Amino acid sequence: MVPLGGYLAVGAILFSIGVYGLLTKKNGIIVLLSIELMLNAVNVNLVAFSRFGIAANITGQIFSVFTITVAAAEAAIGLAILVAIFRNKATINASEIDIMKR
Amino acid sequence: MTVDLLTLNWGLLAPELTIVILSVIITLADLFMKNGGDRKAFAWLSVLGIALATYFTYQDLGQPVQSLLNDTYRVDSFGTMFKLIMLIGTGLVFMMSIYYVDKKEIKYDGEYYYLLLTALLGSMIMASSGDLITLYIGLELLSISSYILAGIRKTNLKSNEAAFKYVVTGSVSSAILLYGASFLYGVTGTTNIIGIAQAVQGAFNAGFDFYIYLGFFMFVVGLGYKISIVPAYMWAPDVYEGAPTPITAFLSVVSKAAGFAIVMRLLFTIFAAGNIATGEINAETGMPINFFSDEMTFYLAVLAGLTMIIGNTMAARQINVKRMFALSSVAQAGYILVPLAVVKINSPVVMNISFSNMIFYLMAYLMMNLGAFAVISLVTKANDTDELKAFAGLYHRNPWIGVAMTFFLLSLAGLPVTAGFIGKFNIFVNALLFESYYLAAIMVVTSVVSYFYYFNIVRQMYMRTGNTEAKLAVPFGLQLVVLLTFLGTVLFGMFPNVLIDFISTNFSVMDLFTPGM
Repeated sequence: MVPLGGYLAVGAILFSIGVYGLLTKKNGIIVLLSIELMLNAVNVNLVAFSRFGIAANITGQIFSVFTITVAAAEAAIGLAILVAIFRNKATINASEIDIMKR
Repeated sequence: MTVDLLTLNWGLLAPELTIVILSVIITLADLFMKNGGDRKAFAWLSVLGIALATYFTYQDLGQPVQSLLNDTYRVDSFGTMFKLIMLIGTGLVFMMSIYYVDKKEIKYDGEYYYLLLTALLGSMIMASSGDLITLYIGLELLSISSYILAGIRKTNLKSNEAAFKYVVTGSVSSAILLYGASFLYGVTGTTNIIGIAQAVQGAFNAGFDFYIYLGFFMFVVGLGYKISIVPAYMWAPDVYEGAPTPITAFLSVVSKAAGFAIVMRLLFTIFAAGNIATGEINAETGMPINFFSDEMTFYLAVLAGLTMIIGNTMAARQINVKRMFALSSVAQAGYILVPLAVVKINSPVVMNISFSNMIFYLMAYLMMNLGAFAVISLVTKANDTDELKAFAGLYHRNPWIGVAMTFFLLSLAGLPVTAGFIGKFNIFVNALLFESYYLAAIMVVTSVVSYFYYFNIVRQMYMRTGNTEAKLAVPFGLQLVVLLTFLGTVLFGMFPNVLIDFISTNFSVMDLFTPGM
């Protein structure tokens, strides 16, 4: 059986990859995907804790269902905003979305 | 345990259900109306509905703590106080919006009104949540609605950019918040906030302190984004500049109040005062055992100090008035954080003083900041520029608006005869009383810095001449907002005891830690 620490490590790695992608990638869609990775790290954690935690119970899995649902809504909004930007500016490159940089 | 949905006390949800029904009615009416039709009636309908919800919320005052659905949703004096702030704030934002929203920029303007209502609903859920899951749903309902509202001027590139930056920073911070929450769930085995509070000290002593620290810091970063304090304030200038001005006002007042509500619910219930709930007393000092509270208030004090310094100095450099007010509201968040950072968690009476000061300042901030934003939205729209020079000669174009704006600025700067002065003075005395001399000193010095940029606007209004001397007409909705907020700012400045008494009779900090019936 894989111990709890293994799952937490997977979560931490996913979260770190998400943060790395967020900070380095230029494409707007990749940025949104990186955020999804961070949220999935949360889900891995929650489900692992709900199975192998100190006081294991079902709440963590229910929490993760809510997280997944809301993350989908958030991604939809993010993509819709990218479409609006693309229509006005013909780019989704995050480094070019900078008219307010001072 | 089975819960019969029919026997639940649904009356407790009356304010929230009013807002839900209102937004459903407006959504449906929007569908059935002709595409080009005028939708300004929606705004007045919303104001009426919000007035009804405010009435229901007012009825909740003075009740004991009650909870619904296995303590996931709580009706307590703390949440009710914040809900009043949010409802009044959103009502004023609606009145501001009536004149701002036009078909040229916002083609489907019905969306604007019902999204603002769902955002309000989200903030109310946040204020009343008793469980991390409920809290997260409320947070996201508020956030997702405000992402769309920030970018609702679809053809405006600035608005698009603001929305994208808001979506990215917002989702990242909620991911960080959740990652922290997952560890707290892991070590305590519950998502109920009071449940965590009761279990967290045991987990700390059992050697899970690393996870609790991790959870705490992630909470601070994730929640700090919502109230725009130092580690996560960089989004504020860009989003505030690009969003429609009434939405900027909404973000700076209602969204921030909701943020402070969850800061207190999470940080203070879980990390500081869970021991008050369990009633454990240290045998040597006779005080409740605080495993984390001194450390936590130290971190909060550092953040509050940095927020005041950075917000005020950066605001002094801005020439765009919306960016300036974004950074001014960052600085104000620093002031509001001071009573939380100096609080000594040893007795309910002492905590009540700090938290009441904070609620007083939030109410004053609601008045003065909304009033200032009403004037800003009028002036920037009339002159078609966001630069400071839009204010040039405002006093000569409309003396009443000029005078009202002067009072809002005096109040924001914390000078006498205004509610802002009383609020800031209370916070200052509070900091001195609890021996946080550094914070008090930083407050005074940064307030002096803030005079510089607030009076810059005053100078523009009185001493500069604009391109035109023509009289500036003020639409009815805006007149009403400026009048109400002006009365609030000045009257609560002259008779602060009215508001202070109201808070002290209706607000008890112990409600935060009492499990509901």
